[in-house]
Amino acid sequence: MISRRLALQRLLLGLWSVVTAAACRASGGARTVGERDATGPPSESPTLSAAELDTLLAFSEVIVVGRALLPAEHDDLAEHIEESARTNPDRFSSYRTTAATLDRLAVARFAQLELRDRAAMVARHRLDVRTVPPAQDLGAIADDLRIVRTETVPDLIDAYWSSPAGWAAVAYATFPGRCGDLGRYTRPEA
Amino acid sequence: MEAEVCIVGAGAAGGIMALELGRLGVSVVVLESGPRHDFAERRQYVRKYLRRENPWQSPLEGQDRHTIGGRVAYGLEGRRARGVGGSTLHWEGYALRFTAGDFRMRSQHGIADDWPITYDDLEPYYARAEAALGVAGASDDSSASPRSSPFPLPAFPFSYSDGFFARACSTLGIGFHHLPQARNSVAYGGRSQCLACSTCHVCPTGAKASTDLTHIPAAEATGKVRVLTEASVLRLEIDRAGAISTAVYAGPDRVERRLTAKIFVLAAGAVENVRLLLLSRSADFPDGLANRSGLVGKLFMSHPSVDAIGRVKDNAYPYRIGFSTAMSRQFAVDGDRSTRGAFLLEFLNSAGPKPGEIAVASRLTGGALRRQVQEEFGRRLGIRIYCEQLPDRANSVSLNPRVRDYFGSAAPHITYRIGPYERSALDEGKKVAARILESVGATYVGATPLSPAAHQIGTHRMGADPRTSVVDLNLRAHDVPNLYLVGSGCFVTATASPPTLTIAALAIRAAEHIAAEMASAKRSG
Repeated sequence: MISRRLALQRLLLGLWSVVTAAACRASGGARTVGERDATGPPSESPTLSAAELDTLLAFSEVIVVGRALLPAEHDDLAEHIEESARTNPDRFSSYRTTAATLDRLAVARFAQLELRDRAAMVARHRLDVRTVPPAQDLGAIADDLRIVRTETVPDLIDAYWSSPAGWAAVAYATFPGRCGDLGRYTRPEA
Repeated sequence: MEAEVCIVGAGAAGGIMALELGRLGVSVVVLESGPRHDFAERRQYVRKYLRRENPWQSPLEGQDRHTIGGRVAYGLEGRRARGVGGSTLHWEGYALRFTAGDFRMRSQHGIADDWPITYDDLEPYYARAEAALGVAGASDDSSASPRSSPFPLPAFPFSYSDGFFARACSTLGIGFHHLPQARNSVAYGGRSQCLACSTCHVCPTGAKASTDLTHIPAAEATGKVRVLTEASVLRLEIDRAGAISTAVYAGPDRVERRLTAKIFVLAAGAVENVRLLLLSRSADFPDGLANRSGLVGKLFMSHPSVDAIGRVKDNAYPYRIGFSTAMSRQFAVDGDRSTRGAFLLEFLNSAGPKPGEIAVASRLTGGALRRQVQEEFGRRLGIRIYCEQLPDRANSVSLNPRVRDYFGSAAPHITYRIGPYERSALDEGKKVAARILESVGATYVGATPLSPAAHQIGTHRMGADPRTSVVDLNLRAHDVPNLYLVGSGCFVTATASPPTLTIAALAIRAAEHIAAEMASAKRSG
């Protein structure tokens, strides 16, 4: 399910892309090969499908919190996944591989499984283990499982614990990236 | 295109010189290789920074390509920024004056060289630089040299964790004082008070001084200064009289364009200044422009640095501001510096892992992970040790003709190492830090690996003798009468203090000299 906030962000992003493309055409548009835009996303940046995003969020519920995500947690993680996919080609690739691997292992849509069935599948394939010993045999889809365990799992855990929900766990309502009261740093947290 | 003065680079030195010259009625064109980073986009930059991406990444693929050698890797990624504002876009904001003794290493300690100017020569310019950048500080550093004026802004109060360190330093008889910084403790210069966003590498409020905010807009408002962005200077050409006539530059389209001027100022940093000089070799200057001394690119320095870390039982509440508020300069000034480098202690307000880093490193999940994050977070105190580095001919910036940048120019090659002088300073710094941490009640955990600071120093040093220096005391090249080289490349020694305020003071002084020279030339002729 996509919240109103997320839907609005997607709409704004779409509008931004249209405006940017129009501006490029208006200015002649002939930019040299190899030039990158430092301030915004590339106009051809890849995006995950809604189904892939749902799969990654359903996976996050299992490996990050062990329960259904609260609406705010859901939105923050979805925003992280979409933005990382859009701006980081390597991350996009690992997300896509992870979503495909999970659906393949589930022999169905992973996101449509009950939480306990998802957890059982994750445990069965040890997908929540964040390291892979060099000698460990991961079977026929070794490369894909390695990506899930060593790239996507740490990324999703870090994303959750770097979000407002993660900082709230250590009683911080304000944290890096959220501006606030300058005097706060001089005293212990309330 | 023509100008009286062409400045290459719109960072700390270039931005400041542009404003000073513009105010003195000199027409200036600034050629900046990077873009104009739109302040309205800062929130997006913050998001990139929080995703551990470099928000100041050069827009052109391969523009920052470089190679490294030597025993210690000194890469440039994340250690400099292109664009209007230059490295002030991402600097820490620490704005310390050097001390009188820092300019007299040879006289006082029999090592390295003296600067051709003294602290007293530079003091009025320090005061002007502090006013221009808006430096917040307090006169509680007994190691500091005399000041002619108070700090423009009140110091940031000490942090909660500074309280631990203050008590320990008092017990141990170690100096403990405010860390001066070009960051608004109160609103100043049309910029807001700091709002503790904790992302100082990308300041979203403009409270941290950066020349894209503090200088370039005012320079352009004089009507005498024009800034061309995405204009990379490829080489400088000289005329028959041996003076520079033209800067050849190109944009993303790689089409070469030409700018003529009476005076040229290289303000592109200690690496790019050197690269441009070496790329501008000619029959008159076969070893590179202004390099008859053979010292262009030599004697490269930085500040070797480590963090000493201790574990505490109670929460120190880190990550609530993005900068440090306290330091000790006692070991940066006092004592014998003939065999061991000086070092500065910075008492960190944020040490140890963030919740995300604890969680990723953990093998736990669910409630057990949550408890672990809560128990681990905030239980670290840290002291950063910045040490002085001696000029060493083995450390250099040169060209690597096998590696080419976006424009096809040879990339810079950095060769770097540290020696016994620096290692003994770091060892002593770690011992002092461990004593402080243990006095706080912390268990000393150890020190992080060596990491040289993002300060590039000393590649075109100043001096009175053309055989042993590249520029004179006014930062004019000995070999080329209409060329000035500014920035930390002209430093004779590195000291143990961050370089930016001294870069700013020297830039103001050089601008004044250039304007006076031009006025004199006009009068005579």
